[in-house]
Order: sequence, then C-alpha cells, then structure tokens
Amino acid sequence: MSLTLHSLTVADARPEIGGEAKSIEFDIPPALGAEFNWKAGQHVTISVHLKGREYRRSYSITNPPGESLRVTVKRVRNGMVSNHLVDLLQTGDHVDVTRPYGEFILQPAPQGQRTHYFFGAGSGITPLYAMARTVLRDEPFSYAHLILGNTDRQRILFYEEAQRLHRRHSNRCTVRHILSSPRFLDGAAAWRKGRIDLDALKSLFSETPPVAQDVHYWICGPASMNDDLSRALGMLDVPGSRIHSESYGYATPHAIDVAGVDSTGSVTLDGHRTALAVSAQQTLLQAARQAGLQPPFSCESGVCGACRARLHSGEAHHRRQMALDERDVARGYVLTCQAVPASPAFDLTYDV
Amino acid sequence: MSRMYHELPVDAYTSWEWYQREQDRIFSRVWRYAGFAEDISEPGQYISVQAGANNILIVMGRDHRLRAFHNICRHRGTQLLRATGKAQRAVTCPYHDWTYDLEGCLIAVPNAEREYPSGIDKSQLGLKAASVDIWRGMLFVHPDPPERSPSLAEWFGAVDPHLGPVQPAELTEIPAQRTSMEVKANWKILVENYVDVYHLSHLHSATLDMYDHAKAEYGWHGSHYAFWEPLVAMDGDRHDNGGRGGSGDHGAWVPMLFPGIGFATSDSEWSTYIITPLAPDLTRVESRTKRVSKSTWNSLWSEWPSTRGRPEGQKAKVGKKEAEGRDDPLASGNFIAEDNYVCEQQQKSMTSPFFEVGPAAQGESPVVNHQRVVLSFLK
Repeated sequence: MSLTLHSLTVADARPEIGGEAKSIEFDIPPALGAEFNWKAGQHVTISVHLKGREYRRSYSITNPPGESLRVTVKRVRNGMVSNHLVDLLQTGDHVDVTRPYGEFILQPAPQGQRTHYFFGAGSGITPLYAMARTVLRDEPFSYAHLILGNTDRQRILFYEEAQRLHRRHSNRCTVRHILSSPRFLDGAAAWRKGRIDLDALKSLFSETPPVAQDVHYWICGPASMNDDLSRALGMLDVPGSRIHSESYGYATPHAIDVAGVDSTGSVTLDGHRTALAVSAQQTLLQAARQAGLQPPFSCESGVCGACRARLHSGEAHHRRQMALDERDVARGYVLTCQAVPASPAFDLTYDV
Repeated sequence: MSRMYHELPVDAYTSWEWYQREQDRIFSRVWRYAGFAEDISEPGQYISVQAGANNILIVMGRDHRLRAFHNICRHRGTQLLRATGKAQRAVTCPYHDWTYDLEGCLIAVPNAEREYPSGIDKSQLGLKAASVDIWRGMLFVHPDPPERSPSLAEWFGAVDPHLGPVQPAELTEIPAQRTSMEVKANWKILVENYVDVYHLSHLHSATLDMYDHAKAEYGWHGSHYAFWEPLVAMDGDRHDNGGRGGSGDHGAWVPMLFPGIGFATSDSEWSTYIITPLAPDLTRVESRTKRVSKSTWNSLWSEWPSTRGRPEGQKAKVGKKEAEGRDDPLASGNFIAEDNYVCEQQQKSMTSPFFEVGPAAQGESPVVNHQRVVLSFLK
C-alpha cells in the first residue's frame, strides 16, 4: 500500500510508565482534517530518517475519533525507531505521518446493546483503549471490559487513565490486570497472576458475563497470544466470527484444520488388542474401521461422545471436541472420530 | 356498517380473522417478553418461548453468551427443545437425531452416506437465527436475526425514564407469587382495563384506595403507555423521607408496554403482567413478582404499604351480605379478581346485537389510544 506522508507538528509529547513509552499528540491542519479522520482501532505509519536511512513503523491511535490524534510508542529492545521517538521527540517537532488506516476497527452501534471484551498484552492495549473509550462514549447501552496482560504493575500503559474510565462508567466498564511477574506490592493492582488463559476466561465470564447475545472479543498482542486466546475462546463455544484480533506488526494465518502425523500403535476393543497404523490424514476412528474393527461411533462430528476412547500413551489433536470437557482431555480421553495422531506411537483403548 | 367500539370495530374483539391479523402483524413481528434474565443463568440452560407464530429457543453457551434460534429442525420441522432445560452443548432433534451446535450450524446427519448418497450440504441447513436481548433485567426475543432486528434499547428507549427507579435485576423473585391464569376475554379488553384510569376509583374503590388516583400522571411514549400515581398522604411527613424527594418517589408505576407487557412497580417491587392472546375471547395472563431482599424489605415495610393491595378479604367492593356466594370476585377484596371479572362480563356483551359503546371519559383516553396503536400495526 502506498500512502502519502504528511509533515505534522507534535502538539504534545509526554512520557508514560516512567519513560518506557511516550504519548505523542499531533496537530492536524484543517486542510488535512478529512484525511485524518479515523476509526477506533486504526493506526498511522510514522517515517523517520536515522543515519541516512528511512525507517517506517506503525502505531495505533490511542484516542477515540473526534479527539486529538494521539499515538503511544513503547520502547522495543534495540528498536531503532521506538527508542528514537521515546528519547528525543519533543513538542513542536515535525514528523512524517500517513493517514490512519487498518482493518482492525470497532464501528460503534449507538442503539445496540453490546458487550465488548478487550484483551491486550503489553502495548496491545493501544488500539483497544481507543475502542473501549469509543464504546463508552458512542454506545450508551453497551459494556466494555478490559483485560490487560503485563509483566508487572510498572509496565501497564494507561493504568491511571483506565482506572478513571472504570470509575466514570462503573456500571458498564471493568478493568482487569493480569501480571505475569508481579513485583512486591503489585498484588493490589492485579486481578490474577499469570497469563490470560482458559481459567482466566472462565472467571471473567462468570464475574462479568456478557449481556444477552451481541458480544465481541477484541484481541491485540503477540501472534502467539492471539492464537492461544482464540483457541481458548473456541473451547468456550465462542464463534470465530465474533473474535477480532490484530497482532503486533504482522498477521499470522489461522490453523483451520488440524493435521496429524503418521503413527503406529495398538488399539484395544472388547478385550482384544490389535496393531494399528494411522496415516497423517486419518482420524483414529477411520483407521480402526479400515482395519476391520467395529468400534462404537455415531455422529462422526465430535458431538455425541459414542466413539470416546482413552490414550494410555501417545498424543492426539482434536478437530472438534464438544463431547469432552477439559478434564476429560487432561485424563487422555479422545473422540476418535475427531482425533488425529500427534505422536509417532500410541496406545488406545475403547474399553473405558 | 360494522358496529364500532371507539376506534375499532366490535369484530376486533370477537372474530378469528382479527385474531389472526394481530398474530401475524403484531405478536409475530415485535419484541416479545421471554422471562427474567436469571431464567438462563448458566451455560447449557435453555428456554423456549412462543412469540406469536414463532417458537424461539434461547440457550446459553459456555461463553455465557445467549443465542436465539427458531425452535424448528431444518429437516422436517420438529420442535427441537421443550420449554426449559439444562446441559446442552448441542441441540439434537428427537426425530432423526440431526444435531446442531450452539451457533445453529448443522453438524451431524446420522448415516449421511447411506441416506443421502448424492450428498447433503449441511452448510445450508443451519438453524434459523432469531434475536434475544436484555432490558431492565428481562429477556426479550425477536423473530428476525440480530443483524435485521430493531434495537431493543431503542424500542423501549422513550418509555424507559418513566418506569420508576427499580431495576428488576437487583430484586429477588417471590416464587409463590408466580401465577398463570386464563381470562375469557379478548387481550385488548385486558389491556384497556389496565390503562383505564377512570375505573380505579370505582371498581377498585376498596382495593386500591391507598393510592391518590386524582394525582395520577400518565401518557404514551410511542406505542408504550406509562402511568404513575402517589400514595394517599396519610400524615404529612411520613413519605417525605430519605431526602429522595420529587413526585416520582414512593408511589406506583403501572406501565403497559406494547403489546400486552404490563409491569407494576414501586420502590421495592417489580411485577410483570404478561398478556398473551390464545383465541379471540381467551387470553393468558402470566404474572411474576420480584422484591428487594428481605432485610431491605423489612425496613421499607414499615414505611409504606405494598402495591399489591390489602390482605385479601379485608375490604371489598361488595359487602359480605350482598355477595353472590363465597366466590364472588367483587367480594374478594382482590383487585385482580375484580379486573378479570369486569373483563369477562364485557366480553360476553360484545356478541349481543344490542351492544353499543358509550362515550369515552377523560380517564379512558388511554383506552382509545391503545386502539389507535393496534390499528397502526395492522395498516
């Protein structure tokens, strides 16, 4: 995409989290007002010349549309551009900036009653913060819940701002912090210790359940977090169409189908043990039937649980596993109609 | 020329043709009350609701999100789920075990290879989506999918500020006060009685006399009716407490939202009064009541009487001597029995060739206006 650069004046540059980040507000000349309209979640690209070379980086806009155009830059270790901006940029400087763009967008629904969950890790809060503020301003019947992952209290961007947001809209906005390595005295700030995982999601949804039907899940963090969180949401029946995510810098394709590996092992059925080879493309059930066995099965969709079996050794991945809960999975139960081998050897029994 | 009953022909209260038109154009097309939000409080729970011609099921997923679908199997149309239940991760039709996930996608067709040798496109056979939303702690359903249904917040938005301070979500249901009754009258007769301000001082002269009907404030907000009246001032300062001031406190709010969604609320209670037509001359009324928790209630109880009226039999429109037997509703001392009685008596007369409606009084203007609202939906 080719985007024109405009030279904008820095109206305000203030340090955040003890100098580890900087919020930069730009003056938008009236002539550029239309071009610099943005939607919550979009970013701009900033161009800087360092040592004779041009570098471009994208930063999310952290204010809702209609307010001043603000980006918040967090230091990246050895990051040429982020360190330059955080260390040196001052009010009155000129910076080359593109118009706002991006597909990670929250379009407000003023008459809707929606529940938005915003999951951010580190600087992932930046687009989410603009979105949450947009919801609270432009969707009077909607709810915004921020769930923010950071290493410790000192690293939390917009900590005070988010607290103020919660206080101002206490009946429809909550803010939760999950700290992976909380420091001494960080306890009061943290909702939980660790990461945003399945357990955290379950607590979240029972503490502040969504209102009715119209629910959206917004994720911004490293690609691995987005994948893990999408998968955890999927285990709780959240449909993919309601999950909106953006990862830092680049996008990762979603693993839609689960692939297996060629595997050999044994299967026990009605007290008889049989050797079985399963190809990477086969489910355990298909392989067993192909081998002439007659294991129980019914829906072939991972729903009914008729084909349930247990792995004594080896691993399997599921395409769908509605008939199992996490405890079953942890104990080695598999739905053979949906399970593909994930290890070269296995020992499976239907006699459970 | 057909005989008129204010704005509507008398036929509107007696004929199957009108009944069917109202089912098609009103009850099958607007948001319908489906219960209190806590009726579905944990994953897997579901309820099904009849909304005009539509039977809509609401189910909660493991993400605590509600989903609504038409309760119709895409195979042969069998109703999928019965009234209420638990523990559903998928919805299986009892007829041929077609199974849908909680997004409504058809995920299993048993023996598909044998029964559909040329294949079956499951992607085209998902459950038809409907809408569910929550307003003031109550569930409502709409037959259109979420992207096409009107906003519930907007539908009730104009009347919302006129319904008093109580949020039903913060109250606790009194199970003993859950009732369902069938009244032998057209649903509009029941609504008209509910919004008739004139009758309060007369039919209910002994049962609702703790309210100052002369000070009632009422009016329409779109298709919805709001009503408030204060308690009769008994001793000057008694109700002037807590510094909450303003004429909006310490009375009864008795709105009638469209169609047939009545509430009765005070500072401490919220009752629903849901009117469902069953036939031109038969209507179901379901009522539930929620109240502030017991400790709060005890302190309020000393302050002012319940909106529910006096204990039964204490005082009545008709004295014991004039009563026609023990079951005479007019001697019951219960204002609901009084209302139901006059509604049924009115319905009986509507089939008489001599029936002719008299002029509407000032306090009956809401009656006439409700007829206009009904007409606006039938155009």
